[in-house]
Amino acid sequence: MPGRFVLVLLIAVQALCCTSAVADGIVVDKVYHPYVLPNEREIEWRLMSGQTEERNVLGQRIAYGHALSETLMVEAYIVGEKEQDGDFGLQGYELELRWMLTEQGEKWADYGALFEIEKQHREDAWEATAGLLFEKEFGKTSLTMNAFAIYEWGENIADEWESEFRLQYRYRWIPQLQPALELYSGEEFFGLGPAFLGIQRFSGQKQLKWEAGFITELSHPGKNHTLRIALEFEF
Amino acid sequence: MNSSKPGVINTISLLLLIFTFELFAKSSIKEFHLSLEQHVFSPAELTIPADEKVKLIIHNLDNEAEEFDSFDLNREKVIFPRKSAVIYVGPLPPGRYEYFGEYNPTSAKGVIVVEVQNAR
Repeated sequence: MPGRFVLVLLIAVQALCCTSAVADGIVVDKVYHPYVLPNEREIEWRLMSGQTEERNVLGQRIAYGHALSETLMVEAYIVGEKEQDGDFGLQGYELELRWMLTEQGEKWADYGALFEIEKQHREDAWEATAGLLFEKEFGKTSLTMNAFAIYEWGENIADEWESEFRLQYRYRWIPQLQPALELYSGEEFFGLGPAFLGIQRFSGQKQLKWEAGFITELSHPGKNHTLRIALEFEF
Repeated sequence: MNSSKPGVINTISLLLLIFTFELFAKSSIKEFHLSLEQHVFSPAELTIPADEKVKLIIHNLDNEAEEFDSFDLNREKVIFPRKSAVIYVGPLPPGRYEYFGEYNPTSAKGVIVVEVQNAR
């Protein structure tokens, strides 16, 4: 058991040391959990607001998700983005498939996989992502890690491989308030910061989940903060 | 292509290695049973051993689905009508862990009692 814990730490260190690429997007987004519930339907809204000394970037995503089976969930996104001097507008579309690989608690840790395909609006620019989702409970805390391999191609984008790593260490205090520490690495970005997660249940399967995080880049001198907010209504 | 490709491939390879090891790892896990009838879980209190992973098998005898939900246990699971569902719980420290059915929270509720000794 301690051996596996050390291996997990090694994976985190390995991922943190080796995720890099030329920056052309917002790295701070969301840490995915490897779970799917059958009959689950959801509407999701995410906001990422990044600020550096040179520029401000605002990204938003609206999505609808539907469980296809006990282990598969598909989600379709509309992505909007705004640079400092530009108008907010449609940036792209994305289709995402989340696959729960193991039953929660069955193995030493829980595993999932994520596949995404994204196309930029009115541009020949594509992005395909494949990743592994990992979660391990330690008493009242949960460690979640995502490792993604990303390939970009098309006439309007340089063909390249990228990688991203995300980590969240969450204390399950009360359903409505679960403080966490989040870490994002990729595209020459390494950021760390606090986050707060919560869930409010209503009747039946209806529930509202929220997440908010404030991530500060540590890999470069100068200002680079990202505020992220996510709301997810499941029904 | 840049230097990130080998890094992420190594990371994913290591995660896949652990996952493969997990798939073939076998261990004996004690089984405990709960039943759901007329939107009531029975027994209302179930005792399991502390510091040990257990397999909780929930039999839904009703004609409607129910969703087992417990923040204490960090578990959520849909139990289809006239079917059984498996939930892996623990290892847990001694204590009382509440759960409920999301569709019938007033009647479908219970407690998992985790004790050091005399587990049934």
